[in-house]
Amino acid sequence: MEYIFKSKDITKSYKHRKALNGVTMNIKKGDIYGFVGENGSGKTTIIRVITGLIFPDSGSFELFGIANTSPQILTARKKLGAIVESPSIYLNMSAYENLKMQSVILGSYDENKIKEVLSLVGLSYLENDKKKAGDFSLGMRQRLGIAMALLNDPELLILDEPMNGLDPAGIVEIRELILKLNKEKGITFLISSHILTELSLVATNYGIISKGKIIKEVSAEQLKNECRNYTHIEVDDVEALVSVLEKQYDFDTDANGAKVYGDVSLNDMLSGIIDAGIAIKAINTVKSSIEDYYLSVIGGNKND
Amino acid sequence: MTDLIKTDLKRIFKDKLFLITCIIAVALAIFSPLLNVLIYSALDALESLELLGMMPTAKSFFFQSFLPGNNMGFIMPILVAIILCKDFGQGTVRNKIICGHSRRAIFLSMFISSSVVSSIIMLGQGLITLFFSLIFFDYSAEAFTFSELGYFLLSVLFELLIYVFISAIISFLCVSMKNAGLAVVMYVAINFLFAIVGSVTMIASTFAQADTLGYKVLEILNNANVFTSTLIGSGVTYSAKDIFYILMPSVGGSVLAVLFGILIFNKKNLK
Repeated sequence: MEYIFKSKDITKSYKHRKALNGVTMNIKKGDIYGFVGENGSGKTTIIRVITGLIFPDSGSFELFGIANTSPQILTARKKLGAIVESPSIYLNMSAYENLKMQSVILGSYDENKIKEVLSLVGLSYLENDKKKAGDFSLGMRQRLGIAMALLNDPELLILDEPMNGLDPAGIVEIRELILKLNKEKGITFLISSHILTELSLVATNYGIISKGKIIKEVSAEQLKNECRNYTHIEVDDVEALVSVLEKQYDFDTDANGAKVYGDVSLNDMLSGIIDAGIAIKAINTVKSSIEDYYLSVIGGNKND
Repeated sequence: MTDLIKTDLKRIFKDKLFLITCIIAVALAIFSPLLNVLIYSALDALESLELLGMMPTAKSFFFQSFLPGNNMGFIMPILVAIILCKDFGQGTVRNKIICGHSRRAIFLSMFISSSVVSSIIMLGQGLITLFFSLIFFDYSAEAFTFSELGYFLLSVLFELLIYVFISAIISFLCVSMKNAGLAVVMYVAINFLFAIVGSVTMIASTFAQADTLGYKVLEILNNANVFTSTLIGSGVTYSAKDIFYILMPSVGGSVLAVLFGILIFNKKNLK
């Protein structure tokens, strides 16, 4: 399995506040890694560490297999695109001029590439527009920032709260763009957000961070399983229950009964159980959302 | 690094403040000799000054216009510092770091670009001052000879080296403070400090006995203070001692400011 980013026990403190408290995380090639955590949990701090804006106090990481202590880390960063907190754009320049500036910084000015990225982010209409970036809406700035980050055909694109300030249509467009770039160009994404439901529409893996520590890394599939609605049936004979359920239901057993997943017809299921002569002790229907899961995961950490 | 210098120069030239700096430079360059003529004429003093051999010259106007404590020499670094710090304020410095440029290259680019811009502005305003001064005054009391041309060109080079030093200080302050306001306040404080030290050492040296250690120390401090020293352009030739006093702070100071700037920037956390 090829990892684009691996970190081990990264810590970072600002004066008396510990922003990162031993972050260990792994991003596989091709992932859309959703980085979730409450405000101030350390999401942006770890992004700053990856992008070289700040230096960790301790711990280590590898970017494209290059250690952070190696001088080659600068070369590894050439395969990186990022928007950290807010898009870094020259407010007194037009969209095209901003992209041209970034192309020169990258040492690869190509007019066609600029047109391509403008089109990718849906800003083609600004190609010949002299309007300054300072007069752009937040959504336009966000898109321009993404266009700038795409100029070097990055292998890893880091987006820090990319949906912030976007209208619903803008959110859908950015989401579709992320999925398109991931699918068509194979770009790996690290997307931070505190809105888990939004991330769940794109992410293939999640890292849940709280108080500067990754408390859980989970795949989208695992998360989906964890967040399924289920009906818990408590009975006196679990084995008999299994024989009734196994024919048509998706379920897991425990010591007292079974969890039957999905929206099932209670009437049909219960009549089958009663007909088999099984005594029902209790029935409980649980509706589990991603937020519930997230809160249950960080819950323990919050009480630390 | 050439790419970084290109972008730094472009963002400086594209900034409205650069245009404002140029307008101020041209205005001051025209206004300065003109004001002198008007004052002297109003006081009816031009003839008396000529008789006393104290008539101002275009040469003195030209070289005085480069003094770091004088009009443009004071304003220009402040405006350039504000433009440079915008890279931190707008967060555009992140674009350079994220795509793998070293902080050393980013700092050097900042320093080289500000040196180029400072030199262009100061030379431009100096030449405009010279042009307008020549309308009203002679170049100097002596005729302009070939050796004077050499002296003139060498003096211009020395003046520009001072602005390379000032650019190094500005770049150092920008990466240390990452904030235009703080960088400007610090630069003004440094400028005032050098000006005060310059005045104190100049007054003290007039009271100190020649050939004493105290006198020699004051002489060094006085001559090496590029913010107040008038060694450049005030004679017709340079002694080895003069060249040492001119180059020591401008070249040595630039090297130190650049080294410390890189050292600090390499450890700075950026937002």
